[in-house]
Formats: sequence, C-alpha cells, structure tokens
Amino acid sequence: MTDWNAMSDAEFRKEVRQFFEAEYPEELRHLPHRPKFAEIEHWHRKLHAKGWVAPAWPAEYGGMGLNAAKLLIFYEEQQRWGVNRGRDMGVQMVGPLIIKFGTQEQKDYWLPRILSCEDIWCQGYSEPGAGSDLANLRTRAEIDGGDFVINGQKIWTTMAHDATHIFMLVRTDPDAPKKQQGISFLLAPMDQPGVEVRTITTLSGETEFCEVFFDNARTPSENLVGELNKGWTMAKALLSFERIFIGSPSLAQNALGQLESFARGRGAFDDPVFRDRFAQAALDVEDHAALYARFADQLKRGETLGADVSMLKIWVTECFQRITELMIEAAGPDGGTIGPLQVGNVSVDVLASFYKARPATIYGGSNEIQRNILSKAVLGLPG
Amino acid sequence: MTQTDTISSEQEDLRLLRESARTLFERAGGSGRARKLRDAGGGFDAEMVRELAEAGVFGVAVPEEQGGLGMGLAAGGVIAEEAGRVIAPEPVVLTIGLSLGLLRRLCPEHPKMAQLIGGEASLAVAWQERGPGGAPADATCRYADGRLTGNKAWVVGAAGSEGFLVVAEQDGGPVLVLAEATADGVVIGKRAQADGSSLGELSFSGTPAAELASGDAVQAALAEAVADATALAAAELVGLSECAFEITLEYIKTREQFDKPIGSFQVIQHRAVDLNVMCEVAQAGVREVLALMDRETDQKVRAQLASRAKARAVTAAKRITRDAVQLHGAVGYTDEFDIGLYLNRSLVLSAWLGDDAYHRRIWFDAREAEGAAQ
Repeated sequence: MTDWNAMSDAEFRKEVRQFFEAEYPEELRHLPHRPKFAEIEHWHRKLHAKGWVAPAWPAEYGGMGLNAAKLLIFYEEQQRWGVNRGRDMGVQMVGPLIIKFGTQEQKDYWLPRILSCEDIWCQGYSEPGAGSDLANLRTRAEIDGGDFVINGQKIWTTMAHDATHIFMLVRTDPDAPKKQQGISFLLAPMDQPGVEVRTITTLSGETEFCEVFFDNARTPSENLVGELNKGWTMAKALLSFERIFIGSPSLAQNALGQLESFARGRGAFDDPVFRDRFAQAALDVEDHAALYARFADQLKRGETLGADVSMLKIWVTECFQRITELMIEAAGPDGGTIGPLQVGNVSVDVLASFYKARPATIYGGSNEIQRNILSKAVLGLPG
Repeated sequence: MTQTDTISSEQEDLRLLRESARTLFERAGGSGRARKLRDAGGGFDAEMVRELAEAGVFGVAVPEEQGGLGMGLAAGGVIAEEAGRVIAPEPVVLTIGLSLGLLRRLCPEHPKMAQLIGGEASLAVAWQERGPGGAPADATCRYADGRLTGNKAWVVGAAGSEGFLVVAEQDGGPVLVLAEATADGVVIGKRAQADGSSLGELSFSGTPAAELASGDAVQAALAEAVADATALAAAELVGLSECAFEITLEYIKTREQFDKPIGSFQVIQHRAVDLNVMCEVAQAGVREVLALMDRETDQKVRAQLASRAKARAVTAAKRITRDAVQLHGAVGYTDEFDIGLYLNRSLVLSAWLGDDAYHRRIWFDAREAEGAAQ
C-alpha cells in the first residue's frame, strides 16, 4: 500500500494530476449540475479500483489515509480539473462518523458499501422549521421493539431521489432540557413504504433538492450511530475540515475565468467602469486565496482550525456572487437568456453560474449565521 | 535543512522582529505619542528614529554586505505594520522603501547609506513634479554643472530631512543628485496634511547638488524603490487598519445604550465581522505580496504585485476607518478620541503613492500587457 504522506507535496500533486487528466472523462469536466449516480458510475468504478474513493479515510478502512496537507492538494487538483465530487455524502459525512463513533459491526458492514457505492447516501439534517436553527429539528424516532420508528419531515435533502440510504439527525428525547440534547444520529434505508421523496424545483429549474417525508418509517435499532441523544455533538465534531473546504477559492476562481473569457469576447473590457469592477473582483479572489493559504498552512502544521475559518466562506461566496453579476452585466441584453451563450470559441452559461452562486451564501450555515458565530466566538461580542 | 525548516525559521525571525518593534513603539507611548507630536506642530521624534535604528529597523531590507540585516521586504512589512498600528510619524517606509531603496541600488558605497541605516540622517526623495504626466521621465527639474534648477512636488518627509534625493534631468537623461536642505537657492514650501504632517513643495534655483548616479539605471532603480515603498505603505495601512478595528471593537463592547453594550446588537456585530474579515484579507494579501516580491526579480511583476497590495490596503483602510468613526457615534467625530487620528493618517497614507482606484488601474493594465505578451 502506498504511503502517500511520505511523498513530497510536488510529487503527490503530480501523481494526482496525472491520474485525473488521463482517466477523468472529458464530457464530465466542470459539470454544471449534480449528476445522478448512473451518470458518473463509470468514473466511480475507476476511482474505486484505484482505491481513491475516500482520500481522507484511514488506510485500514480502505481510504488513502491522507494527512491534511495532502488532502488539500487532492481536492485542489480535483477542482482544478473540474472532477465531479460524485455522490460523496457517504464518504464525506457518514463514513467519518462511523469510523469515529461506530461499532466494529457497523464499520465492517457499512464502510465497504460506501466505498463501492452499493449504498448511496443522502443527508437528512434540515427541516422546514430547522434551517439555520438546526437544533430545532422535530423529526421523531421512537423505539418500538428492535426498531426505531421515524415520523416527520426533512427538507433540502440533496439528491434524495437518487439515494438508497439517509443519515439523519432525529429527536429521540423531546423532554431534554436543551434542544441540542435529545438528538440522535440514525441511519435508515430509503426503499420502504414509510418514506416518500418529492423533488423541489429550484430557481434554475434543477431538481437536486428534495423533501423527504417519514410516516412510521422503520430502521433497526443497531442503525443508531454513537450514543443515544449524543448526535448533535457528534455531527458538530466532524465539521472542522468541511469549514475550510466550503471556503476554498475554487468556485470563485472558476467563475472569474469564465467571466474573463466571456467579457473579452463581448468587448466589455473597452468600458473603463467594467475594467475597474473586474479588477476589484479579481483582486478579491487573489487576496482571498492568500487568506485561504494561511488557514491551509495551519492545517498542514497539524493545528485545529478555529471558528475564524468561517470568514473564508463569507468572503468567497459573496465574491462569487459579485462575479456572476458581472457576467450578467457583460451579457447585456442577453442577460436574461437561458442556456449557453457563445462568444468566439467559448460558451458560457451566464444564468447557470448566476443561479449556482445564489445558494452559496445560504448553505453550510447562511452567511448571516456565520457572522453571528464570528462575532461571538472570534470577536467576543456580547449577547 | 529542509525547505519547510527554512520557511519556519524565517517565520520565527519575523515573529521576533514584530515583537521587538511592537515593544519599542508601545514603550515610547503608542498612539498617544503621535498625538503629542501632532499637537507640537507635526514632525517626528529624532530620539525615536535613533532607537529604531539601534533595533536595525531602517536597514532591515538592505543586504548584509551593504550594512543591513538582509531580511527582505517581508521584514520591512513587519516594521511598517507596527509603525501603522501606532500611527508613528517617523519616516519608516520612506527610508526603508524609497531613500535606501534608491541608494542601495545605485550607490551602496555612499556614506549616506550608513547614516540612514544608523538613524543619523533622514533623506526625502523628490521624484515627482506637477504638470503633465508627473512621471519621472518628464522631469523638468534640470541638473547641469553641479547645480539644480526647477520644482518638485509631493515630497513626503521634506520637513524633517537634512537633504533631498532629487531625480532630475541631465543632458536628456535621468540623474539622481543629493541636495542639502540648507543649500543655496532651496525653498521648501509646506502643505499641511490631515495627520499633522506636511507635504513638501520644493523649488531649486541654482542649488549646488552632488551627482549620485545617472542614466537608465536611475529610472530602473526609481521604479523598484517606488514599488517597494508602495507595498510597504500598504503594510503600514494594514497595521493602521488592524489597530483602528481593535479600538473600535473595544469601544462597542463597552459603550452602553438601551442598557446594553452596543456590541450586543446584531447590526453592529455583523458590521464588526465585516471589518474584521476585511482586515484579515488585507493582512494575508499584503503579506503574501511582500514575500512574493522578495522572490521576484522581474521589475514589471514586482510593480504589479505592489499595486495589488496598495489597492487592497487602501480599500480596507477606507472602509475600516470610516466605519470605525460611525461605530463610535458622535464621539468618533471629536478630536479627543484616538479613532480620528487613525482616519486622518489613513487619508495621508492612502493618497501617498497612489490610492486604490489608481492601483487597480495599474494592476489591470499590467495584467493585460502580460496577457498580450504571452
């Protein structure tokens, strides 16, 4: 087995880059939508055969065992080449949780199935009354014999209509003194009579989000991960790396590249006002990358990231939105047109980028919530 | 030693330098010292200059073989940030970036080098002129037969300088000369600036001056020195912004209205977060630029990097100092509170060597030129 961490950063980057460039299907690069599993199954098989499905997992569970430095390189290369992350909820969210808190039986059963995508996971966290205030969730799970019986509703469940299993936060003790207590982490199969999935059509016309309704749905009690009523703390413990990933420069950098070729083709740079606004956006992206590098270095030195890492997400998502606004501006009268716009030999889907940038300031904790967190945890402001 | 070890030992050196500079400035009286000097009529403290020199501050970016510490612009940035934090009026960036930046590239053997490094002298650099262009190539200030005649504008630090490094024209090419402030035919006009300092308007008529260097080398060294000073001024603004933010943060934690600290109101909190993020982005961006400039030899690339730094630092400083006054409320508009000193200093540092809009234009044009060349 290769010890990737023993390689130099440059060697490792080269190895990853070569594999992606040689093996990743051209037609799947920079996919503008989230694919169903069937669409990327061929690529997943290649990745699986290579043993690269779970870069962050320890090698003993079938992962690559990458340290933080190598992991960042892996993701940077993935984004650079426009490699789709695939249906990675299992790898990113459930796997690490089972590895950290699961029993031996749970590890033996679930982990290989995650790697092979025999099970495809979706995340059941948000609810109609529990978005930014996630701890307010009400979906109930009650013990009935050897099963949990689940009743309630989840929403914004990404790709639930193409998932076999859901991992979810459910309320198991409605009488707990604090709402963060009394929440448990549960795994459940989707293919059963008590589970109903409805897709939600978004502003861009996509149907990647779903609502999931539970009406006396059942899951065996051994599908509880970790201790009963300890789900909240467990779910939070996993977010450290997620928080830098969500603030990575790639989305804004890709959008800026698109904006530049589009604006050039459209002659938008003839306008000094546009030039200045482009320069602002480009410098916003460059200086964000410098701040990102500072946090990444912290990870590479083996330090834990503090709450201040949230500032990356605030800055980059708002920057991403400004860039897509500039695309619309450069499009002029075509700014309301659906589908790719051709300029010279580039084609840019202006509205697709615009729509893609909208939820960026909402998901992963809205930017307003991030500001609340920073003001209290970092700046020490009262109340 | 591995590459990582080298980097971390460099980081450690910079950390120690920062600590000693901060202690030095704080012990001398922090921002209160700036207020006293301003109230005493502007200018700076010669004793402070000597203390800074003893700590090696001025020679920080001068190579060791020329009598400096050889720590590069990154270290110069550390000093500039610390000077910015206490809005020190001493000619830190002027000396590290411009005066020594010119001398070490053109005449490293000149005795003024050692005097500048040793804090025994301060030299202002007169390189701009009013009128069309304002570029050094358009200099109308003429040098012939050892004498200088003409006008120079926007000379920072002119009031406290023993002499001037003047970029002039000689036989159709550029020349760098040294004129003493007390020499015949020198008239020093002063325009008061927001922070209590003054901007020099110099007039020379047949003033005796010594030639230091001539030809294209002067042009090239000037461009390098201006780029250095621009990036260092950006670092000074970063330090200034950070401290202005800290003062404001402390204020909103203690100022009470409606029986609560105003910092408990969400609208104030979100604004504070935005200023903090702005500050961190500026610090990361400017520090990255300084480190990159130390490794880069292509003058055009260095100038473009410097523009990136100044554009960012001015954008951040503008927003932070203006919002800082707003968050202080009415007392922010009084001279009594320190936050106004930071606003005033930011106005001066922003205008010096080009503001954000100017540098975005320069940066964009350089980017286009680079793109066209490829």
